[in-house]
Amino acid sequence: MSTIPKKIKVAILGSGNIGTDLLVKTLRSPLLDCTLFIGRNLTSRGIAKAVSLGVKVSDLSIDAIVRKPDCCDLVFDATSALSHVKHVQILEKLGKIVIDLTPSNIGKMCIPAVNLKECLNHRNVSMVTCGGQASIPLAYVIGQTYNNVDYIEVVSSISSRSAGPATRVNLDEYIETTEKGIKDFSGCKRAKTILNLNPAIPYVDMQTTVFVKVERPDVEKLKPAIDKMVNKVQQYVPGYQLIVPPTIENDRIVVMVKVRGRGDYLPPYAGNLDIINCAAIAMAEEYAKYLLKKGE
Amino acid sequence: MPKILISDSTLRDGSHAVGHQLNSHQVAVYAAAAEAAGIPIVEVGHGNGLGASSLQLGESLISDNEMLISARKHLTNSKLGILIIPGFATINKDLSRAIEAGVDVVRVASHCTEADITERHITYARQKGKEVYGVLMMSHMAPKEMLVDEALKMELYGAEGVILMDSAGAYLPSDVTEKVSALVNKLRIPIGFHAHNNLGMAVANSIAAVEAGATILDGTVRGFGAGAGNAQLEVLVAVLEKMGYSTGIDLYKILDAADIAEKEMIKVIPSIKSESIVSGLSGVFSGFLKPVNRIAQKYGVDPRDIFFELGRRQVVAGQEDLIIEVAQELSHRRDIK
Amino acid sequence: MNHILKSVRKDCDEVTASSIPLLYKLKGECIFITGGTGFMGTWLVEMVTFLNDVYSFNTRLILLSDRANNFSAKASHLAMRKDVELVERDVRNLIEIPEVVTYIIHAAANPDNRMHASDPLKTMDVISRGTDAVLNAAVRLPVLKKLLNISSGLIYGPQPPDFDSIAEDYRGGSDCGSVTSAYSEAKRFAETLCAAYRSQYKIAIVTARPFAFIGPYQLLDKPWAINNFIRDSLMGGPVRILGDGQTVRCYMYPSDMAFWLLRILIDGTPGLAYNVGSPHGVTLQQLAEKITGNFPIKPRIISRVAGESDLYRSKLVPDVTLAQKSLGLNLTVDIDEAIRRTLLWHRESGIKGI
Repeated sequence: MSTIPKKIKVAILGSGNIGTDLLVKTLRSPLLDCTLFIGRNLTSRGIAKAVSLGVKVSDLSIDAIVRKPDCCDLVFDATSALSHVKHVQILEKLGKIVIDLTPSNIGKMCIPAVNLKECLNHRNVSMVTCGGQASIPLAYVIGQTYNNVDYIEVVSSISSRSAGPATRVNLDEYIETTEKGIKDFSGCKRAKTILNLNPAIPYVDMQTTVFVKVERPDVEKLKPAIDKMVNKVQQYVPGYQLIVPPTIENDRIVVMVKVRGRGDYLPPYAGNLDIINCAAIAMAEEYAKYLLKKGE
Repeated sequence: MPKILISDSTLRDGSHAVGHQLNSHQVAVYAAAAEAAGIPIVEVGHGNGLGASSLQLGESLISDNEMLISARKHLTNSKLGILIIPGFATINKDLSRAIEAGVDVVRVASHCTEADITERHITYARQKGKEVYGVLMMSHMAPKEMLVDEALKMELYGAEGVILMDSAGAYLPSDVTEKVSALVNKLRIPIGFHAHNNLGMAVANSIAAVEAGATILDGTVRGFGAGAGNAQLEVLVAVLEKMGYSTGIDLYKILDAADIAEKEMIKVIPSIKSESIVSGLSGVFSGFLKPVNRIAQKYGVDPRDIFFELGRRQVVAGQEDLIIEVAQELSHRRDIK
Repeated sequence: MNHILKSVRKDCDEVTASSIPLLYKLKGECIFITGGTGFMGTWLVEMVTFLNDVYSFNTRLILLSDRANNFSAKASHLAMRKDVELVERDVRNLIEIPEVVTYIIHAAANPDNRMHASDPLKTMDVISRGTDAVLNAAVRLPVLKKLLNISSGLIYGPQPPDFDSIAEDYRGGSDCGSVTSAYSEAKRFAETLCAAYRSQYKIAIVTARPFAFIGPYQLLDKPWAINNFIRDSLMGGPVRILGDGQTVRCYMYPSDMAFWLLRILIDGTPGLAYNVGSPHGVTLQQLAEKITGNFPIKPRIISRVAGESDLYRSKLVPDVTLAQKSLGLNLTVDIDEAIRRTLLWHRESGIKGI
């Protein structure tokens, strides 16, 4: 019988919708053991859900980790950008790996299908934005396929229902962070992001379109690379699918994907929240593999 | 009779009609004509507002700033207005610069059910001392009770008026009466109406709005705008005058401004073509017309089928990317048959 | 101490000058204030620390706020004091109040009506669950003397056009089926909750219903008429009035507010509610004239009568007879002086958020 641990200990900070959905995903992971689910109020729905799943909970916010630093190796921060700024200093001192799901954009930008291994060298990674997780893998492939990409544009539509008050008040940050991610990962000179909220019932799935302007748009060269990348993303986001393969229309390349959520804690139409959580889990599992191997 | 505040969208919504290719000269010439006519507010920019120049919605010939500066030079008594839709444009990238360029009136728009995304932008513009209005786009898609709730949010954020846009030209006069009255009864701030002409109702709908208590109307000269165009401004001014409403606009000079616009920038006078009727019936944003026609041709499908399918999917303004997906799907379906 | 802080001290001195004995009951007490770092909280702290420094009241303050740690940025001269203790916690998650506490002022709620519109659920939750958390902790306190619940003048709903002012016994109310009533209806619920705790646990609870204020520590970012007038004037104008300018409002200066609240806390009759505000109505037109009159080059005033709906005209003025007669409360700063001092404050501290 082996005594080598098979899982790493993770704590989830933030008991809102994102944190609770992450919890459900963590419980399914063969590499992650959620040792503490942390909120600010023991009567919140997220905490109630965690208790029902038999997970240890705390209402002490970041203090829960400060008081018992050995409770975890890795922390998912699903609070707010403002809180993350404070958390990151404390967690760094405690030597914790931090995966940031807030739009603070402090840590290394992480898109698992693109830079998973590279992120292992960083102890604070940022999951960018939902639109970034959906579009940057494609933008990266485009940057690899063509030289001197001038311009990439990403248009996402999400169901109104899946955009809470924080998302709504932070649209500007969403746009600017996503644009930065597209530029950094693809190397394009200019980038633009647009977000539409659609209130249609039945609720629409998240849909993201990438438009590209290049000098000689050869889509045949792009198609297999995009297929390969979509497949790679599907490894950790099962609901990610290509709905319009690279097409030239009106002198621009168009690629479109759709994300249907797994329906863990959040409903399937909230693909925007699902994809960022799936990406965070993929990153955490990579850290787990690395740490467990190191521990052997 | 109360005064009606006219906001002229010729240099903004009109951009749709020419694929957002207005140049500085055209902007300057028309702004001067509008100033001469005493038009209170002259709105300028990409058809979808600030920061909307994109592959999704069409790229502008010149930047937002160039347009604003060209117009600014010729506007003294007339105010310079812009439209901004959060989700397309941001405060840092777009709104702050437009305010630096000398904008007087800021209209912050959202899809008719999503007013909460306008809070920050309305607040910012008010803090800069600007005159700020809220705009509910595609307002045919929500019942009056919901429109009242969304408009009330904008009032609370600091909007000094709320404009209902009939972005798809889908209203009939009775719809206008119902919705505008509801807003007039529940809000303390002025209500406006922005009409499109897909079903030939633009001027009639504008009048219905005024009779229901609206005090702000939008229009464009010659109806310059996407597809079937907008409420024809010079007609609107004449009709309002005949009915005894005052607009402060000089009739002869607005007629002159319309002639100038026709000569300088209106290549084709808007008329109600088949696809525009279908766009109005299906409740799809008028601005979809050009891309729908183009993409329908590429995939060999009937543009009317695309409109009805988009209508069935309840697409909102800004979702132009879905046209390609719908066209591909329709062409697949046809191939299978 | 810099100039503007000195002026706040002077404000405190002026309002208490002849009334210090009326506040003696606060000596040596410990006051727990929820929402303690907000506009109202900050003024209460200014007033109590003034009493400590000048009249050796030796009163302790414990401030609860979900943004307590930001208080030093806003008012470091208060945050660093020995007699002021900060607790950072969302009021909804409050479990225990320190047992030395003898008075509670429950002032936690966000009066920003933009937030009420964008997040009505949170607005209602903070008021309903927050008040419950405070009351629940209060009943377990061994030496608590009284709790002051800060309600709102908005609970009366629209003031009937034929009323000059609204007294505490007016039974109006807002449209409970409208999302715009989230704040006022939650405040009504909170008053009823207080009544229930009073009845069941026999704790002394008194209520204040504040109206509108203008003065230092109030940010100008909220889209209220007076804020816009001040901000637009400071920027050189023009000042725009919505409607025909005949809407009537009233404004109280915050040093009066702080004094009134402390008086209601110590001598208000449990079970009663007291209006807190200025009884002197002023039309928006008059207000704009008063504000712009403070500038050497008077900013232009534009009245924008875009419609003639009666809805444009509204009036909200408290009848404060109860506070005046039973507690001897009066206004020491009139509207002209309040405006003058407010403009001075914003000129010296810089317009925040611009």
